[in-house]
Amino acid sequence: MIKLKAVLALTLGCLLSLSVQAVEIRDHHKEVIGKDCKTCHDNGIKQFPSDQACLQCHDVDDLAEQTARSEEDKWQNPHNNLHYGKELPCQECHGEHTPKQPLCSNCHTFKFDKFKE
Amino acid sequence: MSNNNLLGRRNFIKGMGAAAGVAMAAPAMAISEKADGVKWDKEVEVLIIGSGFAGLAAAIEATRKGAKDVHIFEKMSYFGGNSAINGGLFAAPGTPMQKQEGVKDSVDRMVNDQLKSGRGIADEALLRHVAEHAVEALQMTLDAGSEYHPYLQQLGGHSVARTYQTTVSCGAGITQPLLNECRKLGVHTHNRAKFEGFLVGKQGEIVGVKMRENYHFGEDQPGKVSNIRAKRGVIMATGGFAQNVDLRMAQDPTLTSEVGCTNAPGATGEGMYEMFRLGAIPVHLAHIQSGPWASPDEGGFGYVSNYSIYNFPHSMAVNRLTGKRFMNEIADRKTRADAELACRDEKGEALPPILITSYKDSKKHPNTKKVIKYNVGWKFDTVEELAKHFDVPLKPLKAQIAEYNEYVKSGEDKQFGKNMTKAKDKFIQAPFTVVRLWPKVHYCQGGVQINTDAAVKDSFTGQSIPGLYAAGEVCGGIHGVSRLGSCSIPECMVMGMTAARSVMKA
Repeated sequence: MIKLKAVLALTLGCLLSLSVQAVEIRDHHKEVIGKDCKTCHDNGIKQFPSDQACLQCHDVDDLAEQTARSEEDKWQNPHNNLHYGKELPCQECHGEHTPKQPLCSNCHTFKFDKFKE
Repeated sequence: MSNNNLLGRRNFIKGMGAAAGVAMAAPAMAISEKADGVKWDKEVEVLIIGSGFAGLAAAIEATRKGAKDVHIFEKMSYFGGNSAINGGLFAAPGTPMQKQEGVKDSVDRMVNDQLKSGRGIADEALLRHVAEHAVEALQMTLDAGSEYHPYLQQLGGHSVARTYQTTVSCGAGITQPLLNECRKLGVHTHNRAKFEGFLVGKQGEIVGVKMRENYHFGEDQPGKVSNIRAKRGVIMATGGFAQNVDLRMAQDPTLTSEVGCTNAPGATGEGMYEMFRLGAIPVHLAHIQSGPWASPDEGGFGYVSNYSIYNFPHSMAVNRLTGKRFMNEIADRKTRADAELACRDEKGEALPPILITSYKDSKKHPNTKKVIKYNVGWKFDTVEELAKHFDVPLKPLKAQIAEYNEYVKSGEDKQFGKNMTKAKDKFIQAPFTVVRLWPKVHYCQGGVQINTDAAVKDSFTGQSIPGLYAAGEVCGGIHGVSRLGSCSIPECMVMGMTAARSVMKA
């Protein structure tokens, strides 16, 4: 993570190219967002997106449904979890410019298949 | 975000300067200022910093006492602080469940148990105040919708069973209902809001705070700082500093970044240090407690901690080098953590001891399934398998099990004097479940000095600082050397409620 931040620091001067990389992480973002940085960076280009930015397109109830687990493990649903319910801001686990690890992994050994180790 | 990343952040800043040649304005140091001539951006009635048990209880109580405009500010992006990720264990004397189970208990008895573990330097008046109001605080959680296991537990250092635990075995079983209750009552909750210092009136009274908005913990992003006036007062419920490696090492150099920590990443102590700058009295800062129930096989508090807490009374902790017990499994936390840290191999390297429990007893706690499923605990059908897996000498281990089972039968532990009440009829027998133990930094007994009104005392005048109150782990001296398990939640809740009552009376 520290290394990735160094890369981010190096490229901070050329925001456009960075943003292109960012949307390319996910195909669906590339199609919908294209090159418009402000779609996500609603607080200005030098600021992190607000916690509402992702919610323009994503619905937390739908996400919670998609990632629901069995009754026994129901509170391990990252989008409706034991500690913070449905309120955990997306950016805690998801990063577009820099990949992140799930917040759960601070304390738990849960597996989330789509996350790269 | 771990401590390592906090360090990494500094490297990042350095890297940015060098790599991009960008002139970075150093972030303005958080510091208190005179309020004279300050332009107020906002005015609130009761201002609470921190959203753990203490902050949430304070907000609810202030509203019940008639406050109309209560605001909670939380620096992290999520609410609940460290209170959202602990065991959810709540000790109180004279509870309905104690009556039901026929447990004789009293305020005096709970205070005495705590004084003993405090080793002579705990604050009896504060412990008594908390014990006297603990049932009230428990009721506040029940009213908000918290649910508890239908049985009591007897934790280390407690002379009777007096501990409730949420059905989800986590503090979130309290913070989530309290947060919902706050919102129902119209309390305003602000996340990503970082306290940056007090605004001080002419008489040294606290009239407001500086607050950075849109704060991203561990990242460099300049958020706007606004001056917020607090009409009635400020309640500091900002928690401990166990995640601030520099600060904890300043107190106890053995607590390096290599020592695990059960706390939320935000437990970094700036609120406390800002109160010291103001003149608050530092108490017992070097008494930083490690949890003896933690596991080296997972991060933070994880699943094992609650598993061990539940099972210690009817389990055997064994040194893997000798195959023998090495401690009273329900001694206070410091006694056990010290004993565990002494478990070393021939070269002196850490050799985490094991906790052996009969599966028939351990399976009654929901975490047993979890520890096995997530590979942080193991089940064995025979003692031979167990010994082989952990490389424990078989013969002494077998002898130890037989010896311990004699104590279960007689009710008297001749080895370590463990209270065997809760071990009654619970013989150690196959199949077993086993976890590894290694202490993790868990709780700061130290902090600012308060009185039973939750007022913060000034070191120069000896008087309470007007307009300033503190509650929860940010306060120091209450528990002395070693806090007993399940005594923090009642303290946080009661002192949060107390702070609110004081604010509304002032």
